[in-house]
Amino acid sequence: MRARRNALATLLALASALAAAAGAARAQDTAQAYVRAQHLEELEQWRAAADAYREALASDPASLGPLLGLERVYDQLGVRDSMLPVLDRALAADPRNAAIRGIQLRTISAVGTRAQERAAFDDWRQAAPGDPAPYRAYARLLLAQGDVGAADTVLRQGAASAGSSSGFAYETAMLRASMGLWPLAAQSWRQAVIDRPYFAQAAAFSLMPAPTAQRAAVRDALAAPPMRAGPRSVLAQLELSWGDARAGWSALRDLPPDSESVAVWTEFAQRAEGIEAWSTARDALAAAARGGAADLLARAARDALRGGDARGADSLATVACARLDSTTAAEIAAPVRVEALSALGRAADAERVAAAYAPYADADQRNAMTRLVAWAWVRAGDLTRARAALEASGADVGDAAGWLALYDGDLAAARKRITPERARTPDELSAAAFLGRTTRDTSRAAGHAFLFLARGDSTGAAREFARAADECPDAAPLLLALAARLDAVRGDDASAMALWKRVVEQYASAPEAAVSELEWARALRRAHRDAEAITRLEHLILTYPDSALLPQARRELDAARNALPAAS
Amino acid sequence: MRRAALLAAALGAAAAVAHAQRLLVPMDDAQTDHLKAYGLTYNALKDGAKGEWLLNYRGGSFLLPDTPELRRRAALLGVAVVATDDAALAAIRGEIASSNMESVPLERAPRVAIYIAPYSSPWDDAVTMALRYAGIPYDTVWDDAVLRGDLSKYDWLHLFHEDFTGQLGKFYIAYRGAPWFAEQERANLAEARAHGFPDIPALKKAVAERIREYVERGGFLFAMCGATETLDLALAAHDVDIAASYADGTPIDPDADARLDWSRTLAFRDAHIEPSEMVSSMSDIDGHQANVPGRRQPLGSFTLFAFSAKFDPVASMLVQDHRTVIPDFYGVTTSFSRKTLKPSDVILAEEPGAPWVKYIHGDYGKGSWTFLGGHDPEDPQHAIGNPPTDLSLHPNSPGYRLILNNVLFPAAKRKPLKT
Repeated sequence: MRARRNALATLLALASALAAAAGAARAQDTAQAYVRAQHLEELEQWRAAADAYREALASDPASLGPLLGLERVYDQLGVRDSMLPVLDRALAADPRNAAIRGIQLRTISAVGTRAQERAAFDDWRQAAPGDPAPYRAYARLLLAQGDVGAADTVLRQGAASAGSSSGFAYETAMLRASMGLWPLAAQSWRQAVIDRPYFAQAAAFSLMPAPTAQRAAVRDALAAPPMRAGPRSVLAQLELSWGDARAGWSALRDLPPDSESVAVWTEFAQRAEGIEAWSTARDALAAAARGGAADLLARAARDALRGGDARGADSLATVACARLDSTTAAEIAAPVRVEALSALGRAADAERVAAAYAPYADADQRNAMTRLVAWAWVRAGDLTRARAALEASGADVGDAAGWLALYDGDLAAARKRITPERARTPDELSAAAFLGRTTRDTSRAAGHAFLFLARGDSTGAAREFARAADECPDAAPLLLALAARLDAVRGDDASAMALWKRVVEQYASAPEAAVSELEWARALRRAHRDAEAITRLEHLILTYPDSALLPQARRELDAARNALPAAS
Repeated sequence: MRRAALLAAALGAAAAVAHAQRLLVPMDDAQTDHLKAYGLTYNALKDGAKGEWLLNYRGGSFLLPDTPELRRRAALLGVAVVATDDAALAAIRGEIASSNMESVPLERAPRVAIYIAPYSSPWDDAVTMALRYAGIPYDTVWDDAVLRGDLSKYDWLHLFHEDFTGQLGKFYIAYRGAPWFAEQERANLAEARAHGFPDIPALKKAVAERIREYVERGGFLFAMCGATETLDLALAAHDVDIAASYADGTPIDPDADARLDWSRTLAFRDAHIEPSEMVSSMSDIDGHQANVPGRRQPLGSFTLFAFSAKFDPVASMLVQDHRTVIPDFYGVTTSFSRKTLKPSDVILAEEPGAPWVKYIHGDYGKGSWTFLGGHDPEDPQHAIGNPPTDLSLHPNSPGYRLILNNVLFPAAKRKPLKT
């Protein structure tokens, strides 16, 4: 008896071990089938992949990975309806699984009828009472189909079922935005973003189309107290997209200086940099750097410089240099400071800073700072010191010597040293164009003109460019057009128009003639002399039918004839 | 000597023949500015030139005399033209004769009037924008001029989103606090009182009646957006109160539907008046109901019908385009429910399978009317306060072409039907 009992126990243990081994083997088979299915899918062998995914689902019909894979593959095969029986089996095993229900809803949406969608939704909410997921998923589906009214009804039912609408803020916001209820949409987005900060991007995108008349209400909703980083961040993004970067920063600057705010400020600065709102980016980075991040401070200084704020750049870069180790400072902060001092005409200070950081800088950085120092002396009007700075460095400073030759009026030397391909700024491009155009070897007036330009004296530069046109008749239209541009930027349209007239009438075949005539017409429009502007524009269009400026000219012509709405 | 003179004359004549005789204004994808091409053609007619509209030929091209002045204008406008000599012209005519194409003479630039309130911005009306952009001159008229009988001066009248039911577009529901709405209400009421009407609905019904008479006597009417639906509602409701109480002090007649007289209308019949004063809809004529949450239908695309150019030149003119499928666009009235169309209506464009159509035409008395649903073909989701559309960014707009087809349509000399 005892022996029989022992034999039975052994048999049971053996059976149990065999069952466990079989289970493990099945699990292993399932896993292998799943891996094989993914591999076949990558190879775009859709039918074989579908077989493998079904095999992977055989032992666990609710396994999400294979279900999603099968959905993709059936889509490729154009048999999405084949998912429906698979999903029925999956839901029989796990009826409350929101992910599987979601697959079912979108499959029916693709291949079924509205009534079937509704039935799937009803089935889901009955299977998961109190769960907001079915209402959210179905409302999103209806919104995507443009059925705003039905989505509204579903969300109301969801709120009633959950006892609160707070779980539906995202869908409600989408709904309201699609209905053009902008202030209400902004309120919902505010709540949604507070609950889930990762909705910020979606919120901004959704509210961007709000018409001008509704934007004040949208702003009020997002900026309403209590102050929260998420909604303020959405508002800042909106202001950027609506073209007012300063207002965007205003929405953020009063946030408490904690780590969340630093992240928001830094991200906003990056966006502001993207649209070249440099002073706004500077302020945001400076605020973010208050916690001690000197690299952000150096970046703020660079942005200040790009925005034309040399004084601010100097201050910020000075603090950054003090906070950074010398090597890092020489790399990211000292060059900004040298450039800022150069722009301010403080050549001696620029030279001192460059010298202080030269031991920590590599050769490229040293050369760059030397060039900046030379520019600083140029701006200070001291060409001798500029030349001395370049010579003392003994480094290869590229075009800088060529520029000094140009300022001396030595066009031949300048032509040899200045590389047109390296010209980037408008002044550099103008100089390169001039040197390429004239065959003369000297011109005192042209040298003076470019020197005045480098020193920021546009009045003197315009005067000298006009004089240089007489010294270099082969580049006269270019020089006259440069002088006119400077006059116009300074607001002296009368002088500019006289110069453009000269270009158009005396140098009609020059490349500058068409653009001069266009600018002349624009100046006439600024002076409310539309009839004369129309004459100029018609002349331009008819005289230069192949000019790339024709679309602009036609647009100006339409505007002059009042055929277009005024630019807002 | 005489023989030499004859020879010289013959050679001269041959040289003249070899010169380009016509300017072809292609309207297919070769055209650089479709909208201004209409302006070029219109102004040529206005200056006394004769032209031809080559229906279905290269997108509905125009043929104009080849003169230095027209070449100059085309260059200024950026309109592509092709100098066409007699041989090329003969080939074109041969192609037209053997295909579903037709040449329609264009003889006279129609005199154009736009019915628009004095307080409206020109940038709020797609037709006004199109005419300004194309350089087609027009006059503006409003209630005073219509009641005075000034419409008889014009060949072509355009109505935009005026609400002829006198309820100011039911904007009262959403915008009653807005300064612009208060100004509209004040201006319209002052106009009503000045003409002895007690309220705005009474004034607009009288204006609608004058417009109906204008068409009956031979005028061409082109209406878009809400004007289409409300004009017919005002005509049908001649003796019925269909205006909300905020417009005339009395509620909508509860028996309004049954009392509407559809024999007086141009396009629609058997529509149901929206009974609620607080629902931003006039009736079930509009298929899309864009301003009614819960009823708003999504936008699709509409397809222009292809008519026989030789046997149905009028409808053909109205659908000349370089695209046959055009994205739909919302308006106060976006589309027209099929169930409310009169049997005599000619459907020019529809959304296949949808219970609505987009573009319809018909004759009434000695005149004709054309209705196009929607507000702005290049601003499909247009909302109050949106910036105006800049047509220089849409010079090839197929939707705006439909509007401009209507402007040139009255310029065509009607040929007797070939039966």
